[in-house]
Amino acid sequence: MTFVNAALLAGLVAMAIPVIIHLWHRHRFRVVPWGAMMFLDELLRVHRRRIQIEQWLLLALRTLLIGLVVLAMAGPVWTRGSSLAGRAPTSVVMLFDNSLSMETSEAGRSWLDAAKEAARSLVSELPRGSELAVIGMAAPIPRLEEPTVDRALWVSGIDDIEGSGAAARVAESLQSAAGLFEKRMQNADRLLVIVSDFQRTSWGPESAEERRAAWRRLTSQPLPPRIVLMPVPASSSDNVSVGPIQLPRGVIGVNQTAKLRVPVHNWGRRRAVDARIRLKVDQVERTMSSVRLAPGESAQVLFPVTFDRAGSHLVEAMFDGEDVLRGDNEAAAAILVADRIAVLLVSGDPNPLPLRGETAFLELALQPYARERRGRRSDWIEARTVGESTWTPAMLRDVRAVVLANVRQCSSEQLRALVEFVQDGGGMLICPGDRINLEWYRTALANAGLLPAVPVSLQGAPSAEETAVGISLQRFYHPALSLFNDPGRGTLQGIRIRAWYQLDVPSDLSERVVARLETGDPWLVEHRLGAGRILLMAIPCDADWSNLPLKPAYVPLMQELMIYLGTTVHPPRNVAPREALAAFVEGTEGDRPVWTAPDGSVHEVPLVARGHRWLAEFGHTERPGVYWLRPPRGEVMHFVVQRPPEESDLDPLGEAELNHVAAEASATIARTAAEWLAAERHRRYGRELWRAVWWWAMVVLLLELGLEAWLARPVLERASA
Amino acid sequence: MTAVTRLLSPDDLRRLSNLHVPTRTRVEGFCSGLHRSPHKGFSVEFREHRAYAPGDELRRLDWKLFGRRDRFFIREFEEETNVRAMLLLDASGSMGYGDGSELTKFDYAARMAAGLSWLLLQQSDAVGLVTFDTQLRQYIPPRSRPGHLKVLAETILNTTPGGETSLGTVFHDLAVQLHRRGLLIILSDCFDSVPHILSALAHFRHAHHEVLVLQIWHPDELEFPFRGWVRFDSLERAGHRQFVDPAMLREAYQARVRQFQEELRRGCYRHRVDLATFVMNRPPIEALASYLSGRGRRA
Repeated sequence: MTFVNAALLAGLVAMAIPVIIHLWHRHRFRVVPWGAMMFLDELLRVHRRRIQIEQWLLLALRTLLIGLVVLAMAGPVWTRGSSLAGRAPTSVVMLFDNSLSMETSEAGRSWLDAAKEAARSLVSELPRGSELAVIGMAAPIPRLEEPTVDRALWVSGIDDIEGSGAAARVAESLQSAAGLFEKRMQNADRLLVIVSDFQRTSWGPESAEERRAAWRRLTSQPLPPRIVLMPVPASSSDNVSVGPIQLPRGVIGVNQTAKLRVPVHNWGRRRAVDARIRLKVDQVERTMSSVRLAPGESAQVLFPVTFDRAGSHLVEAMFDGEDVLRGDNEAAAAILVADRIAVLLVSGDPNPLPLRGETAFLELALQPYARERRGRRSDWIEARTVGESTWTPAMLRDVRAVVLANVRQCSSEQLRALVEFVQDGGGMLICPGDRINLEWYRTALANAGLLPAVPVSLQGAPSAEETAVGISLQRFYHPALSLFNDPGRGTLQGIRIRAWYQLDVPSDLSERVVARLETGDPWLVEHRLGAGRILLMAIPCDADWSNLPLKPAYVPLMQELMIYLGTTVHPPRNVAPREALAAFVEGTEGDRPVWTAPDGSVHEVPLVARGHRWLAEFGHTERPGVYWLRPPRGEVMHFVVQRPPEESDLDPLGEAELNHVAAEASATIARTAAEWLAAERHRRYGRELWRAVWWWAMVVLLLELGLEAWLARPVLERASA
Repeated sequence: MTAVTRLLSPDDLRRLSNLHVPTRTRVEGFCSGLHRSPHKGFSVEFREHRAYAPGDELRRLDWKLFGRRDRFFIREFEEETNVRAMLLLDASGSMGYGDGSELTKFDYAARMAAGLSWLLLQQSDAVGLVTFDTQLRQYIPPRSRPGHLKVLAETILNTTPGGETSLGTVFHDLAVQLHRRGLLIILSDCFDSVPHILSALAHFRHAHHEVLVLQIWHPDELEFPFRGWVRFDSLERAGHRQFVDPAMLREAYQARVRQFQEELRRGCYRHRVDLATFVMNRPPIEALASYLSGRGRRA
């Protein structure tokens, strides 16, 4: 407690006035020789105590009244332990929400601008000598990441903040702030300011646990910072978002029709009538579609697209309408179009007669158009069959995948070549049959890391039709089998497997199992080695043990498996924010391919050797959008960092929820810089209490008047009341 | 200036000259006067005839009636006698109250007592005086001599109020001493316990005295008009004082006084005692004259 005019407290001596008057009256009394003492004696005997109490009460009220009036005039300030020692330099960390949702623009002004203005007002009030660091909650904010005392830099740095298009990472940002306070901040007086739109998707209960951990880290510091939440005036507005574009697979073949699915969601409260979605391929508008969306409704727009040229392509879908957040009206996807996928089929039982060889059915399935040459259709997969005794490691050089079809065993040289092949991103499919050397598989192949599961024993009998089993038709989550989730596109129903290897998959590696038989035994098992993948099937790929090759599903199944295995060498071109972008390129040591980010910034990053290949990598992908890679040789490659879909939901936390978040960290909520300034003044200078004291003085005055009126009533009447 | 003229001015005497002090009951006197005597005998005022009985005085025979009726009748006459009036003047401390510039209650009562004495002596009544506080101070037996007024006046003037009040005790003692029935005029503020007072008055009444209580009030005692803190020093008991803010007590005080008056009035009525209240806002003789003229009409 302190006072604005402490000198006026000397007026408290005036509290003695009623007492003095009381005593003065008592000492300047009049003496009356009185005869009717019997009446006075009676009355005083009954009422003396009551009168004394009433008089003391009246005296106390009058004294209190004067005290309160003097106190109010002195300007009492409740400082709650704070001192008036001046404005000490403060270490301030500001968490600035530069996520996509902050780009929302209402009435010609974006939430980001409002936040920047609030931040500028706030920092301009910081005491001299304060230091400031600004952490972007979605993407780093240049020049202000490290604490600085340069006030000009504060202002220019805040002015230069732009929307990142990314999602706000609340808990991670809080942890970063805690780290800054722990290691970099110098002053004892510390302040954490969070300027955000407090989207429900970012600040809701789903992230509460991580957030609380960060709050705990902040508040348990030796010098815990004061925390101020500054919500920008956000509201749930009409917004339509597009994307992310869903691709059938990461790599598409030349002249293959790929169906691109573009999700469109209406987040607003009004119906989106004829929302037009345009599609651009390689920056050329191809087609357009329109949808009608009720409030809160989602729809998918299907765009069939074919590419007549191999290489990297960029597709973009965009919404033409007007809404408050334009940053989510576009979605992009990078598509890698490959002209062919070369596959080496190693047959354990080659046979020149039609459909007699171990890989005859498989070769036919992978190249259905190879012999007919009908129309414009062509095979995307180019398969080549070799005998197990004739294949050489050199044959692996130009292929993307290799199939070991009932191969008895490999030489150590062949085994080494296979290991290198897979580690460099190649794919391998193992289809064991009656000719395999089980022991070699269990030892050499397994030890080389090329066996996803160990074949234990043969189950069933090749000729026992009655004991044949089918494939368990559950939902498939593997990209190579997801095709069969839609019965219209193919089904594995009707496949009868008469004999199969029981594959032993340890229970802790059960996620390797891609599909099972009806008996529960694994049918298809996957394992990763280096950059490549290996698939182990429990049956051979011919018709000796099953009718699989005779079924219509055989062709898409094997093609999907080969495309999957043959394209895994290509790292994904569409990634989430902060995931690294990578691509194998042609180059030499010392080459520095150029990466261009969505904001136009250019980065040269040296190539990294991966086996026999060179890998171009780029890790600064905080900003969603299209990234461009110009390799030392060859054409430009596209990459897309997907926009976080949750940022399109502009619904902010409600008042109670925001208070709850503030309560988590004992934070103060200041909706404007002025509110924050008032809160700071309160903290620094305390709460001015003079109004409250005046009110109390008024209350005491009323009490005094009331008591006087009460005392003026006849004593006997009061006694009866 | 004589003692009488110090108490009664010529104006006072003129104001009283046409009045008399009537009695409502029969009183015993020793000579003829204005008042009816309980004793029947020779008198100028005929009362009744009764049949002669052996032993009656022959001089009281009504011979004229014997002539008409031929029977002996004895004539009886109303005996008119003088009254034996005793003035009981309260000389306790409480009667000494006055606001300083005017009369005290005792002075007021003294003038009324003098006036009454003069009136009674004018009526050939015998007047005595008793002054008292907690006990009898002075006792002047009733006399009807005109010079008795001087004795009474000197006695009154030589009396100063003081001491506590104990009306009940004094009156009981006095009731024993007054053998002959008569008129008792009490001049007092009656500041004592109402039951005690009534008990004593009942004692008087039991002795067939006619009792007239003239209660004297100072206006301050009724209105309690004091302001600011006041120390009330008792006029009766030395050292007894009360220190109060009168404003805090005024209403209660007035209510208590009204209650006291009502209780006393009801008690007196019950014992057939005349109670007359005099407030000192009128001159004493004027107030007395006003009262006597009214009483005379009622008697």
